[in-house]
Amino acid sequence: MSSSEDNNAGSLRKALAGAGPLGQPDPWEACIRKVAQQQDREEFKKLFDHYAPMIKAFLTKGISSYADRSLAEEMTQEVMFKVWNKADSFNPAKASVNTWIFTIARNTRIDFIRRNGRADRTIDIEDIWHEADSPEPVVELQQRRVETMIRHAMTTLPEEQALVLEKAFMESKSHNEIAEELALPLGTVKSRIRLALSKLQILIDR
Amino acid sequence: MISYHPDSRYLTDFATANLPLAEAVCVSAHLEFCGKCRTHVQQLTDVGSHMFTRLQPEAVSEDSFAALMARVSAGAQQERAPAVTVAAEVAADEAAEAAQSHVFLPRAVRRLVSGSLDKLRWVQLGKALRVAPLRVSDESRDTAIYDIRAGGRMPEHEHRGDEITVLLQGSFSDADGSYSRGDFVVRHAGETHQPTATMDKDCLCLVCLERPVRPRGLLYRLLEPLVNYRLQRLNRSMA
Repeated sequence: MSSSEDNNAGSLRKALAGAGPLGQPDPWEACIRKVAQQQDREEFKKLFDHYAPMIKAFLTKGISSYADRSLAEEMTQEVMFKVWNKADSFNPAKASVNTWIFTIARNTRIDFIRRNGRADRTIDIEDIWHEADSPEPVVELQQRRVETMIRHAMTTLPEEQALVLEKAFMESKSHNEIAEELALPLGTVKSRIRLALSKLQILIDR
Repeated sequence: MISYHPDSRYLTDFATANLPLAEAVCVSAHLEFCGKCRTHVQQLTDVGSHMFTRLQPEAVSEDSFAALMARVSAGAQQERAPAVTVAAEVAADEAAEAAQSHVFLPRAVRRLVSGSLDKLRWVQLGKALRVAPLRVSDESRDTAIYDIRAGGRMPEHEHRGDEITVLLQGSFSDADGSYSRGDFVVRHAGETHQPTATMDKDCLCLVCLERPVRPRGLLYRLLEPLVNYRLQRLNRSMA
């Protein structure tokens, strides 16, 4: 942790966020920093060994209806290539390393699906799904608290709600696709997701 | 003050990147005006990120890391080159946009209009309204910028599919309410409305239509084929 981050706001943020138990810094931040500043390949290897199998699992689930599973391997490499190249744009004040890498994997997936569909794109995926959405500082603080809270609340969801969240977030299915697959009315899928989100204290539509 | 927001379906499908591209452009535009929805999208992304860390990992092939590092070493120069070009292009767009007007355009819209509203191919539809189609590579929807003259009234029309309107500048009202900058307004199939821009300012909207709307007045019904023809011809010439 650099000394500039070691101020009150930084400590408070760490206490509220952190990928591990409360108060513990995200161990992967230092890795990313060394990759960004020194192009440290040993540190990058640690990141790769930890994240590449997770990324591959995510992509395998997310592209199954579009492509052969073997493509997940290639795309995993693409995601880690972006992690290497974008390491210096990682901002620990905005997202944990987990969230940052997940976002890159998500964008790589949608980029692949769009390219697969057609070549004439007039807009880049990252013009729409920005990596660097920057909320105001106060909102940010609340946001970090929520991240910790979500982590705890996820384990308490009823199975039918956990299932629709799994399909939306990991299998990358839209509300419509989930409704079709589970043979449920769209409204039921929507209300299950809303119920799950409100249990996670994500209160939309109010 | 933003009063109209995307609902949980739009925000969730956006956060999981499962929204049709044209609708995602609309949500993305709204997010730049709305801190509350931006926070929701971040929370939703955290939900995804949390689930991501709980996945059963899938082993990558043994030479995967070595292959990646070979690519890093070999391609350092070439791979970085396009990124610079894109960044320069964005910067040029933004400079052009800043120079030509004082309208703030969200990033996705700025890219779609290539930096400047003046470069768009506008189609004048009556005195009060002009429309410029945007190409979003999304065949299920028509996306356009609507520019309604201050005090102008659009033809009353019924929607055959869902319509999303994001207000980029000015304000308008219809029988259901009044809408201002940043608002994300959804009209469903079968609903009819007649938006009117407020008197003091032109109203600029990003509009995404599931299918073309059907104007109700006889005059507009008669005009519709002509309008569609002109829009289609324009789309073709842009393609």
